[in-house]
Amino acid sequence: MIPSIEILIPKNLNEVLGILSNQDKNFKIIAGGTDVVTGLKQESNRFINTEVLVDINRIAEVKGIEKRNGKISIGAASTFTEIYTNPIVSSELPILKKAVATIGSLQIRNRATIAGNFVNNAPCADTVTALLVYNATIEIESTNSKREISLQEFLQGPYKTQLKKDEIVTRINIPVPPKTFVGDFYKLGRRQAVAISRITFAVLMELNGNKINEIKIAAGAVTPIGTRFPELEKYAAGKEANNDFIKSLASKLGEEIIKLTGLRWSSEYKLPVVQQMFYQMLKRITKK
Amino acid sequence: MINLKFILNGKEVTVETEPSIRLLDLLRDKFNLTGTKEGCGVGECGACTVLMNGKAVNSCLILAAQIEGNEIVTIEGITNGNELHPIQKKFLKYGAVQCGFCSPAMVLSAFALLKENPNPTEEEIKDAIAGNLCRCTGYKQIIEAINESAKELTSH
Ligand SMILES: Cc1cc2nc3c(=O)[nH]c(=O)nc-3n(C[C@H](O)[C@H](O)[C@H](O)COP(=O)(O)OP(=O)(O)OC[C@H]3O[C@@H](n4cnc5c(N)ncnc54)[C@H](O)[C@@H]3O)c2cc1C
Ligand code: FES
Ligand code: FES
Repeated sequence: MIPSIEILIPKNLNEVLGILSNQDKNFKIIAGGTDVVTGLKQESNRFINTEVLVDINRIAEVKGIEKRNGKISIGAASTFTEIYTNPIVSSELPILKKAVATIGSLQIRNRATIAGNFVNNAPCADTVTALLVYNATIEIESTNSKREISLQEFLQGPYKTQLKKDEIVTRINIPVPPKTFVGDFYKLGRRQAVAISRITFAVLMELNGNKINEIKIAAGAVTPIGTRFPELEKYAAGKEANNDFIKSLASKLGEEIIKLTGLRWSSEYKLPVVQQMFYQMLKRITKK
Repeated sequence: MINLKFILNGKEVTVETEPSIRLLDLLRDKFNLTGTKEGCGVGECGACTVLMNGKAVNSCLILAAQIEGNEIVTIEGITNGNELHPIQKKFLKYGAVQCGFCSPAMVLSAFALLKENPNPTEEEIKDAIAGNLCRCTGYKQIIEAINESAKELTSH
């Protein structure tokens, strides 16, 4: 059973901010509801004390996808279907498009939103790795503040973010990647699969001939939250993308992931899988 | 309790309801539209699929108050009086209905697909029904029925 909860349907952002600034009640934003409603039903303690749900699906300020000052600005409550079918996303953000296509089912993608994905911040939130390699920043508002921070900074731990109770994420901004960058998204395993047998990777890189000018690497699901690997990225910059090198990069990534998770993996299985999948992915991108 | 107004199968309706009951329960209990089924209750099986503003959605994941002013179509809304919709006829003809539990939702997913994309490829059909579980048919007959529906609907 879903407990009896009041639901507000505000019409504009100011109304939302006004509602959220009232700290007397336990408010929770609801967008697609795919995490909130299943969470309420399963009596998850992240949702159990909710007294009022604030539906943000009719707020123009958090909808729509457009180019603004060299950035692509995606409304926080854009559904995955809206993102998938958007021409700007198709031409400028193929890695995000590919990540979005792997999510749930059509029924889920018709409702689930992009901000819902990373505010919930499950280890397996599939758009996070793509957004991280694109250096996404997010706009956050409350009645008396407005800030823009990197997604990386926003995400703090599994199911934990910097979001305060009176705040809403309004936009996700992504600098338009130069056309010289190539990349890919990779996902192994279903959501329902045991967490640790799942993997997501996103890579965005610029090659000069065979030389790696710059590379951005993110992994999710195998890590506690979606994560970039700055040391690895620095190490790879300027190197020849030959078979030996991408093999060694894949093997280093596996070691980094182990360090991060502190997990004692049954390494005969998982470590080689991670390394092999990442190696194959780099091979595809660099067409080796 | 709230007074909820929305468009149901083409007609404007008003109903008094708890705001946080699921659309699934609203349809079944207040409107007796029992073609909408509950399988898993958590978005996995698709048996509860309805169309909201033309798009296939899981009615087990939508709360009543959220549909204010929206347009909802259930399986009962796509027939023409007592005459089955062409997609339903093809489902029967091609053996795509066995126990029938998944069928209303499956037909609605097909309906939404063919509205947006009258000539889908097999891959596109598979993607459109990937969120609808069927434990009986093995999907082959369903895909065939949708394919044949597309042919018939575009031939007019
Ligand atoms: C059957 C099923 C399959 C799924 N498959 C996948 C999958 O393959 N990959 C994947 O990554 N996820 C998957 N999910 C999880 C889920 O669909 C996504 O995480 C989705 O993006 C959540 O978005 P939403 O709009 O539905 O969030 P909601 O449930 O509406 O909200 C989630 C959380 O975010 C908060 N929130 C939402 N919008 C904002 C905002 N603008 N500002 C501040 N806070 C906000 C809410 O308060 C809540 O805490 C699946 C879920 C289901 C039920
Ligand atoms: S009952 Fe809604 S998806 Fe299974
Ligand atoms: S016909 Fe029985 S579940 Fe599909």
